[in-house]
Amino acid sequence: MTEPGFLDIISFGADGWGAALAAGAWMTILIAIAGFAIGGLIGTFGAWAKISGGPVVRGCAEAYTTILRGIPDLLVIYLFYFGGSAVVTAVGQLFGAEGFVSLPGFIAGALAVGITSGAQQTEVYRGAFRAVHPGELEAATACGMGRLLKFRRITAPLTLRYALPGLGNVWQVVLKESALVSVTGVVELLRQAQIGAGSTSRPFDFFFIAAMIYLAISTVSGLILQVTERRFSRGVRRG
Amino acid sequence: MNMSAAVTAPVAIRVHDLHKSFGPVEVLKGVSLEAREGEVISILGSSGSGKSTLLRCINMLEVPNSGTIEVAGEAIRLKTSSDGRSRPADQKQVDRIRSELGMVFQSFNLWSHKTVLENVIEAPVHVLKRPRVEAVEEAEALLAKVGIADKRNHYPSHLSGGQQQRAAIARALAMRPKAMLFDEPTSALDPELVGEVLRVMRGLAEEGRTMLVVTHEMGFARDVSSRVVFVHKGTIEEEGPPQEVFTRSKSERFRQFIKS
Repeated sequence: MTEPGFLDIISFGADGWGAALAAGAWMTILIAIAGFAIGGLIGTFGAWAKISGGPVVRGCAEAYTTILRGIPDLLVIYLFYFGGSAVVTAVGQLFGAEGFVSLPGFIAGALAVGITSGAQQTEVYRGAFRAVHPGELEAATACGMGRLLKFRRITAPLTLRYALPGLGNVWQVVLKESALVSVTGVVELLRQAQIGAGSTSRPFDFFFIAAMIYLAISTVSGLILQVTERRFSRGVRRG
Repeated sequence: MNMSAAVTAPVAIRVHDLHKSFGPVEVLKGVSLEAREGEVISILGSSGSGKSTLLRCINMLEVPNSGTIEVAGEAIRLKTSSDGRSRPADQKQVDRIRSELGMVFQSFNLWSHKTVLENVIEAPVHVLKRPRVEAVEEAEALLAKVGIADKRNHYPSHLSGGQQQRAAIARALAMRPKAMLFDEPTSALDPELVGEVLRVMRGLAEEGRTMLVVTHEMGFARDVSSRVVFVHKGTIEEEGPPQEVFTRSKSERFRQFIKS
């Protein structure tokens, strides 16, 4: 194999690495979105538990956020990957499978990223909810809105208004954390750059390109966030 | 309104022997009250007397410890849960009754992420499931009635307090409520904005709407209401038509109260 030049690395031709890097970037985005969404779901329940749960529920939520924010994220991914695989292996043996069955890296990774970002999102939503004027929620109750309708039409949009800046930070963290998922063998952007770096003599070029792609993804998502923030801040008086 | 009608009109709201405590503090100590259709009842009292709590119990924003509340003849069913606290027995019933009572708050409580028009049609469309077009039509008529038709596409934060409160009244009216509950509707307003809100409320009274108004506005209580109720330390200390109680009240406390 001939040594590629910088342009060959980014080219989408037969010898180029463009397609592979794009696929890696796509995988990075998928992991980040899946992890962020799982985290959003967990964060919503976590915030609800902390705000209106009984002492037991509150205690569980408290333990969850304390533990998850106190363990290195890489370790959480290992725990999920090997722990999950152990469970899958055990279940597999029940049905007669032999040997070690591994949990797909994508699932383990997305879950691990989701559960760590869930702890962060819990705190973001909880703080944002505190900023909502309680009278607006009471007005929804007073006109006969049921619990779900009130959440969907009033509580969620008002909370999101205050949560979005914090969520933007969480998203950036998730995006970078997705690189850790490469340890499970998922070929996302960083892993793909490593492969490229290892099979050519141009490691710097590959890692530099990967950095640029990460930057592009976070820039574009930053713009999307700005638009969303503007949308949810309708009716807020800037002074 | 016609006084003889007040005696024969059906009962819109009946409260009987209401008790409510917040922790060790008993705020309501057995309050009974009846509002017939078309009556305007001003509920007066110094702060901490329990007057707002009384109003908020009627639509279950506060759940009373004991006593009964009937809206249009239907009693709100309560149960005692395992921790000894009183709770609504049927949340659906409570939600439905709430949708039949229009509540106006001291701090307006308009939904800040929605325009004035969106605020007014929100509950009719999503709670009562009325067609949107119809709700918008009715909302526009109501906004015209309270004098802020030109503000329909503004967000609440861009309105004055008086305009916000009038929008909140329109929002409550849009539910076609059986009765309106006002919780100190002018207390958060600058003095020069009180008049425009009181004018709207006076108009509603003249239409024959059933209104329970917790207020400090003595002029409104005297001139507009058909009955005045004076709450003191969790009980009703004085009650009667304004021309009676304001001129010859038996209660020394009430005479002191209106003097101050």
